[in-house]
Amino acid sequence: MLQLVLFNLTNGLIVGTFYVLMALGLSLIINLSNVVNFAHGNFLAIGGYMAFVLTPYIGFWGALLVSPFLTAILGFIIEKVLIRHVYTRNHIYSLLLTFGLGFILQDVCRYIWGPSPLPLNIPESMSAAVTPDLFFITWYRVFMVVVVIVAVAGLFALLRYTRVGMRIRAGTLDLETVSALGVNVPALRSLNFAVGSFLAGLAGVLAAGQLGLNPNMGDDLIMPSFIAIIVGGVGSLTGTLLGGLLIGVAAALTTVFYPSASEAVIYVIMALVLLIRPRGLLGEEGMLS
Amino acid sequence: MTSKLTLTKRRTFLTATAAIAGAQFTGPFIIKARGETPVKIGFIDPITGSLSALAVSEVEGAKWTVAEMNKKGGILGRQVELLVEDSANDTGTGVQKAHKLIERDKVDMIMGDVNSGIAYAIMGVTAEKKVFHIVPGGHTDPITGKDCKWNVFRTCNTTAMDAAAVTNELVKKFGKKWFFITPDYAYGKTLQENFVKNLKKAGGTFEGDMLPISNADFSATLIKAKAYKPNVLLNNMGGSAQLNCMKQFVQFGMAKEMALGGALYELETLRSVPKEALTGWWVFEWWWNQPNVPAVKTFVDSISPAIGNKKPTARHWMAYVSLMAAKLAAEKAKSLEAVKMAHALSDMELPPEVSLSPNKVKYRGGDHQLMSDIFVGEVTQPGPGGPDDLFKVESVVKGEDAAGPAEETGCKISWPA
Repeated sequence: MLQLVLFNLTNGLIVGTFYVLMALGLSLIINLSNVVNFAHGNFLAIGGYMAFVLTPYIGFWGALLVSPFLTAILGFIIEKVLIRHVYTRNHIYSLLLTFGLGFILQDVCRYIWGPSPLPLNIPESMSAAVTPDLFFITWYRVFMVVVVIVAVAGLFALLRYTRVGMRIRAGTLDLETVSALGVNVPALRSLNFAVGSFLAGLAGVLAAGQLGLNPNMGDDLIMPSFIAIIVGGVGSLTGTLLGGLLIGVAAALTTVFYPSASEAVIYVIMALVLLIRPRGLLGEEGMLS
Repeated sequence: MTSKLTLTKRRTFLTATAAIAGAQFTGPFIIKARGETPVKIGFIDPITGSLSALAVSEVEGAKWTVAEMNKKGGILGRQVELLVEDSANDTGTGVQKAHKLIERDKVDMIMGDVNSGIAYAIMGVTAEKKVFHIVPGGHTDPITGKDCKWNVFRTCNTTAMDAAAVTNELVKKFGKKWFFITPDYAYGKTLQENFVKNLKKAGGTFEGDMLPISNADFSATLIKAKAYKPNVLLNNMGGSAQLNCMKQFVQFGMAKEMALGGALYELETLRSVPKEALTGWWVFEWWWNQPNVPAVKTFVDSISPAIGNKKPTARHWMAYVSLMAAKLAAEKAKSLEAVKMAHALSDMELPPEVSLSPNKVKYRGGDHQLMSDIFVGEVTQPGPGGPDDLFKVESVVKGEDAAGPAEETGCKISWPA
């Protein structure tokens, strides 16, 4: 039993890192623009499908590099054309807009690539297990964790050490003052949305290599991202990191003892956090505070 | 300032999260037909959601069948209008759409749903409204078992039939110690119960996990399965979940240690399985390659151009049989009245060009379940028949042999006065 628990603990951390990647992009957009992007999961799917299209020409590695950038460009354009118009309106507008956008993107995927699942081929060597004892850790899963660590480190470095990052952090706290100081807020928001979309695209390629593609893949993966943000605390990227890992581990450990509840447990954690500490685990003193 | 901003964001975010459930209440897709009083058929399926690939095949099959039907005079000399609604894989939405089709669109009959839980819920609506209803592809047993209704017929198999058909083959070939991975909803629960019943009869033992229907990562449960050291891993998941489970099973090297099998496989899913993961023993409820049944070849050749030159799947067949059976019932009853149609279809043997099966097939009077043939076999690498030649039929089990007597299903049909 102990071995089973330890195996699942490790497995939960691996799955959790993936939730972190998805949730960070979403969190970034919420923090600066105050827009809850319901279409974030669909950006993830678009990233995966772009990799599917590119892989025959530039291989998996090339697609892994290019697809997130293409998703970021798409995000940048959509922010410019659609999202920016609702920043000054009641929140319900942005909710409805991104909710509808999600359906449109999903139907676009269904129209172009069909409703059936599609495989994204990864290099054969990546499918093998690292060792026979740790059979559930394939090289691809190791690679995913490394990519997520690099991406998260890169994001935190961007926010902490670059001028743009500092502006994003400042804008998260007080957008009016940042604007009064001469920062081009619309450009900052567009860039920020593009970075969030980049992370969604990267998560999409990684997910597609592991799970394959289908038009609904974003829907299946988006809820854990929302919950990671709530549990970790809205406004805190470090909290999102912690929230993602926590729900990944909780879901995996629940599978050992009561598998039917492996999905429900993350909602239970969210409910408990909201009851006991409504601002989330690190909602007040996160990195952006 | 900061705390106020954070509070606003948190409230916005929580409101947004609470609002994530959405329903689509758009107008139905309609195939327009000539004639002033067309026969209206409501077709409800989860065109969006995790079962959409199966639903789209059913809808394709239904559209093609209605088009062919209309070329040959429709039903009772009237053209047929197909009203397709998306249940979005959500029970509430499915029920809402059933009410809409019956009360607003005044359909003459209802077909649906792929999702067992939705089919079961819609059944309550059609029974209350006394509307003729065929379930083309929702498998949970109570639909034609303990909760059967006089107005409801089912084309796809029960889970009991699928489980009975494949259990003996798996026990005989691999052994009696099994591990189940099963979706935690109506279909999965009844399927596993039936497998367990048959396995216990054979003296077998088991363990297993019930997982959420849209589960994507199976590593946690596969760790448990490997520790149990079963002879067979039963993958009862559906759609992309079934595919992911199969892929991870192979990636984790478990194919070398145990056999993989399950009740139902669908060609829609099989097409997406990477070559290295094409393995296992399964049931197909209909298969396009039946060299000894001439009507099958005619059907395949006719429908293929309308569905992107692919081979038709069991889902195309389910829609076809359901609609053709409704036509036969109406014409035998000379009426579209639900009671008369239901009486007409009970125990009616379907002609070969409708059943598209090697043995005699009928909707059994005792429970309104179609007694169709069940194809048991092994998933293979693509064969000489093309990219869809992915299954080798080992045996064809007669529906009545797998289903057992109607009395044992718990169905007692109560007809209206």
